[in-house]
Amino acid sequence: MTDSLMVVPAPKAGSQRVSSWKLLFHNRLASIGLCLLGMLVLVALLAPVLPLPDPNATAPAERLRPVLSEGHLLGTDQLGRDILSRLIWGSRVSMTVGFSATLVAAVIGSAIGLVSGYAGGRTDNLMMRGVDMLMAFPYILLALAIVAVLGPGLMNALYAIAVVNIPFFARNVRGVTLALSHAEFVDAARLSGKGHVSILATEILPNVLPVIVITMSTTAGWMILETAGLSFLGLGAQPPQADLGSMLGEGRAQLFTAPHVSVVPGVMIFLIVISLNVLGDGIRDVLDPRLRSGALLRPGPRTAVDPDRTVPKPGNADAVLDVQGLETGFTRNGHYSAAVKDVSLYLQPGECLGLIGESGSGKSVTALSIMGLVNSPPGIIRNGAVYLHGEDVLAMPETKLIACRGSRVAYIFQDPLTTLHPMHPIGRQVEEAIAAHQRLDRSSLRECSIALLERVGIPDAGERAKHFPHQLSGGQRQRVGIAMALANDPDVIIADEPTTALDVTVQAQILDLLRELQKERGMALLFITHDFGVVADICDRVAVMKDGEVVETGDTRGLLANPQHAYTKRLIACVPEIGQGKQFLEHVSALFRPENWP
Amino acid sequence: MPAYAAKRLLSVFPVLFGLSVIVFLVMSMIPGDPATAILGAYATPENVERINRDLGLDKPLVQQYVIWIGNVLQGDFGRSFALNRPVLDEVLERFQATLVLAGVSLVLCAVIGLLAGVVSAVRQFGWADKVITFVVLAGISMPSFWLGLILILLFAVKWRLLPASGMYAIYGGGDFKDLLLHLILPATTLAVVAAGVIARLTRAAMLEVLRQDFVRTARAKGLPERQVIYRHAFRAAVVSVIPVIGIQAGFVLGGAVYIETVFQWPGIGAMLVNAISTRDILLVQGGVLVVAASYVLFNLAADMLQTMLDPRIRS
Amino acid sequence: MKRLFHRAAFAALLALVGFSPATAQTPPNVLVVGQIAEPKSLDPHAVTATNDFRILVNLYDGLVRYKDGTLEVEPALAENWTISDDGKTYTFKLRQGVTFHDGSEFNAEAVKFNFDRMLKEDHPFHDTGPFPLSFNFSAVEAVNVIDDSTVEFKLNEPFAPFLSNLAYPTGLIVSPAAVEQHGKDFGRHPSGTGPFRFAEWKSNQLVAAERNDAYWDGAPALEAVVFRPITDANTRIAEMMAGGIDIMVEVPPDNLASFRSDANLNVVEQAGPHVWFAILNTKEGPFADKLVRQAANFAVNKETLVNDVLQGTATVAAGPIPPAFNWVESSVEPYPHDPERAKQLLAEAGVENPKITFYVTEGGSGMLNPVTMGAAIQADLQAVGFDVAIETYEWNTFLGRVNEGLEGKADMAEMAWMTNDPDTVPYLTLRTDASPENGGFNSGYYSNPEVDELLAKARTSTDQAERAKLYAKVQEIVHEDAPWLFVANWVQNAVTTAAVQGFKLQPSFLLHLKDVTK
Repeated sequence: MTDSLMVVPAPKAGSQRVSSWKLLFHNRLASIGLCLLGMLVLVALLAPVLPLPDPNATAPAERLRPVLSEGHLLGTDQLGRDILSRLIWGSRVSMTVGFSATLVAAVIGSAIGLVSGYAGGRTDNLMMRGVDMLMAFPYILLALAIVAVLGPGLMNALYAIAVVNIPFFARNVRGVTLALSHAEFVDAARLSGKGHVSILATEILPNVLPVIVITMSTTAGWMILETAGLSFLGLGAQPPQADLGSMLGEGRAQLFTAPHVSVVPGVMIFLIVISLNVLGDGIRDVLDPRLRSGALLRPGPRTAVDPDRTVPKPGNADAVLDVQGLETGFTRNGHYSAAVKDVSLYLQPGECLGLIGESGSGKSVTALSIMGLVNSPPGIIRNGAVYLHGEDVLAMPETKLIACRGSRVAYIFQDPLTTLHPMHPIGRQVEEAIAAHQRLDRSSLRECSIALLERVGIPDAGERAKHFPHQLSGGQRQRVGIAMALANDPDVIIADEPTTALDVTVQAQILDLLRELQKERGMALLFITHDFGVVADICDRVAVMKDGEVVETGDTRGLLANPQHAYTKRLIACVPEIGQGKQFLEHVSALFRPENWP
Repeated sequence: MPAYAAKRLLSVFPVLFGLSVIVFLVMSMIPGDPATAILGAYATPENVERINRDLGLDKPLVQQYVIWIGNVLQGDFGRSFALNRPVLDEVLERFQATLVLAGVSLVLCAVIGLLAGVVSAVRQFGWADKVITFVVLAGISMPSFWLGLILILLFAVKWRLLPASGMYAIYGGGDFKDLLLHLILPATTLAVVAAGVIARLTRAAMLEVLRQDFVRTARAKGLPERQVIYRHAFRAAVVSVIPVIGIQAGFVLGGAVYIETVFQWPGIGAMLVNAISTRDILLVQGGVLVVAASYVLFNLAADMLQTMLDPRIRS
Repeated sequence: MKRLFHRAAFAALLALVGFSPATAQTPPNVLVVGQIAEPKSLDPHAVTATNDFRILVNLYDGLVRYKDGTLEVEPALAENWTISDDGKTYTFKLRQGVTFHDGSEFNAEAVKFNFDRMLKEDHPFHDTGPFPLSFNFSAVEAVNVIDDSTVEFKLNEPFAPFLSNLAYPTGLIVSPAAVEQHGKDFGRHPSGTGPFRFAEWKSNQLVAAERNDAYWDGAPALEAVVFRPITDANTRIAEMMAGGIDIMVEVPPDNLASFRSDANLNVVEQAGPHVWFAILNTKEGPFADKLVRQAANFAVNKETLVNDVLQGTATVAAGPIPPAFNWVESSVEPYPHDPERAKQLLAEAGVENPKITFYVTEGGSGMLNPVTMGAAIQADLQAVGFDVAIETYEWNTFLGRVNEGLEGKADMAEMAWMTNDPDTVPYLTLRTDASPENGGFNSGYYSNPEVDELLAKARTSTDQAERAKLYAKVQEIVHEDAPWLFVANWVQNAVTTAAVQGFKLQPSFLLHLKDVTK
């Protein structure tokens, strides 16, 4: 057992690395960058064995030969030196300096960041003020001053650039370290008696490493530019040694008469830096866990629908909403996997259907697929049809689909803190929902939204409408969500776990409100939950989902009394004292009914 | 909020104080002295000594610093050795020019960066995204001083559309239009890198925001896509980009050193380079303090703007 | 706020619509001169740079001035003068009815004020200095006012270059009233008697001066002159090509060729007393041996330097005295390029691969293309066996390091001088007593008693013919001793637009714009 535990991580790490490379190569731009950079580095490394003339051999009589002249592929410079040779040797110098400076800055900056973030308090404050000072000092002047003190020369330019870039590493690393230093595993290490240094080195550093690598890969290009800048000002390489910046700086005098002398090194700098930048972006995408999952893909206004999908016929003529044979899945890194398969559901007018299942069973994907709200990419609807009053939603043109959202089918989402826009006042968000489908002037919009807010039980709605979501309690926020869903008197409301994020008493109030509104307005309600207690309380019929499929459907009372599927039985067993749930909720919700308020 | 702003403003002073100490130390470590710069090729040790005595540079460093800071607290920043002129006059005059250039550049890079980032995110993988991504990458991969020269070559020398250098026309100029014409090239050059950085960040922020729940809510309400993107997603994305614009102020102010030299802009960056080379310690002090303070203020302004735009931070 | 934004947007639109081409035209009858840097001050006694002198000679006059196209002295504010037989008393008769731009009167008192301010530490306005070039007049013991229009200079010893030094910008006469009014700020509020009166100084943008209609020597044709500092050489060239300036001085050699072929531009050239050399450290290291110093002079191909690197904008230097002092009859020929001879000399001296540290500067007054030239010299020296390491320094650091002497730091350092009299450079840089510890510029510690004696004699002689012989001898000895690597004498140049007429460069490197028309 212990053996297998020891063995398991190794292949896993290996496969992870392989997939990192694969991911990197998957990014076309990044792989072009990698290839270009690899080529440039290779040429620079091979400089001593390539058949190049001496980069420092002057021949003033042959100065400023143009590109492609005989014996000088890229021409000659102001002293008749071969530009190609100087370019290759110069790239060698520039890249070495740029990369070394990156490394020096990374080591020192990260050390500062680690210590500062880990120690916290006064040390942190002091070190960060120091970093602030470095940042407030115009960077070129700082580099200038450092070189002025140390004297000219490549090494000193290297130090200057490293010092100038320390703040970036220090700041980034400090941020991550600060968060990590209060993490449980660090506390555990501390309790186990590990010293500070060893905690920093063995617990925190490995976790900070990706941030350091990302910062390095994104600043290396910048550092090469800065090296060039310093050499350009004459503070880098000493003659006759070539480096790209000094070639550019010295060649600048010929800008108007022999532009190639400075254009050639300029282009080389450009190529090196652009390949570094592209590669740096790729590395960041691979190493950043958020980006790795392909999160940085722009979701379209509606879920993609496979043009070759099977389109089953509607099954229930009088249903408001009729989902037939729905299959929705996700494509990640070229691999497709289905999240829901062959799901069929229908909703009669005024009916409440409960869709129940554990997390990951595909309830939400089903619900979002109905109005094409699954983010795509990566989502795609492969098969099936969604009939709204007999018309296939999936076949509707985009404008029509958008017109149906909110007006005929409305949604209430789970966590109202993230589902309401954090920077718009709630009144405006409700008005917006109304205005999307009704042409009203400003003041009637306002009146309508306040009336809606009042209807869902928000006290002093006129004043509250000016508040932002974070200023409201969870229950009130969900009431706002409901008000938005009600705004256009939809035929169907899809409530995706509307009460899960709320505490029990508030849950009861919200359920009450929903039931009441449903009765009052005759809407059909698709109620998604994982809680049989809630289902028993509100739903007429229930569909049970497991692993993306509907395993059992039926009348709530019948299904609860006599579950057929083993999974359903297990789910029911999970609800403590199922018989009392309803009474308990009724009891509690009664206490909070408006007529019982003091 | 005013209390917060006041606190931030007060925190500028320790930074400035620290900087002034660093500047004094660094400048005193640079070999050579102001006397050489004043005397030029005629700097004999004897002359140098006499001038150092005249300028009070023969006193111990600590004493020099104490005298300086004492004067500064009374509003006297001293006289520039090399320019033979009060530091404050020169610094303020030069800083105005830099402020115009850096300010316009910042606005330019913010507007262009945000626009490009949004378009690029919304048209992800479309041709607009590809073009913008390439231009942005090219922009941040080019030495800015180099770009400046190329622009002068094209727009001033070849096509004669814009003035090559300076801030105002020598004669008959001096009005707003004249200033704008002179600003186009340097401000664009200066804005390129920062605009690239901002565009990249905006694109990433937009893509991230577009996946958030409240965007889905906006869609579920049946809002048209334009409204979803600009009223909902952009509004949230811009808030996370604003502090970065503040940080870019540092780069714009730093980059101004090259650009002011190339375009002969009478700003403080070119002045500081000169002042370092002439060992004009008081002028360097004055200049660095003003630049650093403005950097801090730019950041403060960015934070304030963010606070204004994001009600969550406000309360 | 909103209105401001609207206005800005409107203006931006306006600028785009009114995108008038050829924005860079210079105004009529106003001459715009592209300068290489901003002046340090417009107080002629406080500055040392040729760049500043170019402005000052148009704002001020001296008692005497250089005759057009020569380094000979002619009357200016002084109508005539007499020199006592012992050469120690100079009496000047001053021009009458001349007033300073500020309205105050030019007279003997004003002359006395000028020299006393520079030379007397107890003068009430001595603190408006420092006056770095006042040593040009260190021989002056006293300045006496004889009457309102007569002034007498008492020297402590005969001093041959005295008149020439008076014609140099350090001898320009400033308005005492303006000095009294502005004190330390006089450098920003200059007032003289020159053909142009100071109008405006915008920091790092321009110095403007307008026509002095009351000028005693005839008012200039130009309405005004504007001096624009453009520090970046490329930008300066771009402005010239874009038509943003009318005159540009110190054109980089490679651009000069392309300007020459442009019909819309005129190139003007004029040799002057300039010498570009490398100081050799004669105190220690390989160059302590005369043979090695001569080897270096043979090793470097100066013809290529002046013809290829400098594109013919200079001639090869033979010794410390530039040929522009054409009255010095020297027959010394430059060291030829002879690498074999150099190797032979090195072998004779018994050094195989001498290690050399070579100080190179990045720029600086009269330094031409110091980095490129340094690299070329390095390559030539390497070719005969020297092992040369270059260290480059920004100009002021460079001066600081070189002027305190090369001992313990370097074997070789680039340098250049522009002067007005053959005495200046050897006197300051080649005398035994001019060593850095004595306050001189002999950074290579060259010492030859014979040269010391010749220089002392030439300095006090008032007979030009005798001086000519003495300096020829100095040239000969120094050439042979080779305390320097003699490289080049610059031919200064300028380029003007075709519309500019009557423009001339002077051997004195000064820029007189009075007779220029446009």
